[in-house]
Amino acid sequence: MDHAIVVEKLNVWIREDHVLKDIVLKVPQGYITAIMGPSGSGKSTLLRSMNRLVELIPGAKVKGKVKVFGKDIYTEDPYKVRKDITMVSQNPNPFPHMSIYDNVAIGPRIHKLVKNREKLDELVKWSLEKAMLWDEVKDRLSDPPTVLSGGQQQRLCLARALALKPKILMLDEPTANIDPVNSKKIEDAIKALVRDEGITVIFVTHTPAQAVRVSDFIAFIYNGKIVEYGLSRELALNPGHELTEKFLRGEIG
Amino acid sequence: MKGDKLLYYSLFPFAAIVIATFILLFAVISYTSAPAIKEYGWKLFTSSAWSPSEMGPESSKYGLLSPLYGTLVSSIIAVILAFPVTISAVLVIEDYAPPRTRDLVGSLIEVMAGLPTIVYGLWGLEILAPLLKVHVYSPLHQLLGFIPLFSCRPFSGYNILTAGILLAIMVLPYMVAVARDSYRSIPMTYREAALAIGANRYEYAKIMMGMIKPGLIASALLGFGRAAGETVAVALVIGNVPLISSCILKPGYTISSLIANQFSMAPLYPYMMNVLFTGGLILLMIGVIANTVAVIMISKSRLR
Repeated sequence: MDHAIVVEKLNVWIREDHVLKDIVLKVPQGYITAIMGPSGSGKSTLLRSMNRLVELIPGAKVKGKVKVFGKDIYTEDPYKVRKDITMVSQNPNPFPHMSIYDNVAIGPRIHKLVKNREKLDELVKWSLEKAMLWDEVKDRLSDPPTVLSGGQQQRLCLARALALKPKILMLDEPTANIDPVNSKKIEDAIKALVRDEGITVIFVTHTPAQAVRVSDFIAFIYNGKIVEYGLSRELALNPGHELTEKFLRGEIG
Repeated sequence: MKGDKLLYYSLFPFAAIVIATFILLFAVISYTSAPAIKEYGWKLFTSSAWSPSEMGPESSKYGLLSPLYGTLVSSIIAVILAFPVTISAVLVIEDYAPPRTRDLVGSLIEVMAGLPTIVYGLWGLEILAPLLKVHVYSPLHQLLGFIPLFSCRPFSGYNILTAGILLAIMVLPYMVAVARDSYRSIPMTYREAALAIGANRYEYAKIMMGMIKPGLIASALLGFGRAAGETVAVALVIGNVPLISSCILKPGYTISSLIANQFSMAPLYPYMMNVLFTGGLILLMIGVIANTVAVIMISKSRLR
């Protein structure tokens, strides 16, 4: 099995806090990996360490290596890293001053991915279709994103990320603040992306049920350390660690 | 509950003072302007003549057009010059500079806002205007003389452009303060969104500035309002000649500098005081409109 991301002895401090401790993780290419853990366990920081958004946090210090397709991202251009490994945030955050269309088109425009308007139209349509939003917005592409519901806005953010044609897609608790119907759509969209486009997906969640339901692999993180890592079904049925068992039973929250 | 009511009734008069002051100000200025408007009518706003006479209202000529033109043009120049500097300053202070430089630039701009305007005026009079004449205006006229704005020969450094440049420096701190507040109000999640799609610093700044467009417009309007009302510094550098010219290297006049210059003589001439108050009324209206629109823009610019 090929690995899209290999994390080697990653340590992250935010000011005095040692947030991530000796993280070792291999993310298989073409599968969905869930980073599961209680709040404050460092799972969001781990995600942001894999596309260099962690540098945005004041006082953050990173030691160790994150290799994406064999290359250490910390020696590369951070803008290119973030373009290749796009992320969807926890709260829907489409740019409020841009139209729905422009929100999706912004990435390709910045990085000059397409040559002409026709190709851009195609890419926007493809992205919105893959985010399962096209049918709902195709007649109001020039409206501001504020006309959409929270769940639709989150799918718009997914489309915005997909428009960059990333090989790796990361999602930070993408359904935490969203109703069940929209959550299901996002989960289905993710599964279809992996199946049809061969994208590697990493997502963060604090609900074991969602991790098991959506992912192929689960990394359980607790207190800045990876406690357990394995195939989702095996890890859920046969947790190898007492902490994992407790978390799956809902005793750590 | 009783305490609440007591507090409300004891604070109400003080809040009312603010409103009453404004209404009274507006009323007095309007009341004092009225005779001049009645006597001279539209000519007051359409002519630039200024020749007061002791003989009586018929032989006196008053026109506020040139000062009004000077006020608008110098203030517009100020905003046009200060706007790009405002955006750069906000980006430097908030994003680019290391913390120490950021604090230094930040507090320097705040100090600038607090300086007495006469200090700017003297500096403009003694240093800025002569320097600009030799090193900027003469070459500007020679190189770009074909553009109407620079088509006239700069005889001195005291002209509308100098007033605009000095005003730009003076309103900069206020514009930066408003734009900076807007910029800071952008929620972290949008900043992350921009970076998460791989925006570099330039693209990031572009997206952020687009997001706070109403706040930037408010900043420009407040700057304009302040520039239009500024008196003594402008009076020292604009040349105080009631001219209307498309060339900004010619001297001009502003309403506030007209009031400041003529006020001491006003009691000697019939209607002159009323005319000056009319000028004040125009300034008041410019200020009220600019500030009101700015406030609306600021409330619009709040992102969630």
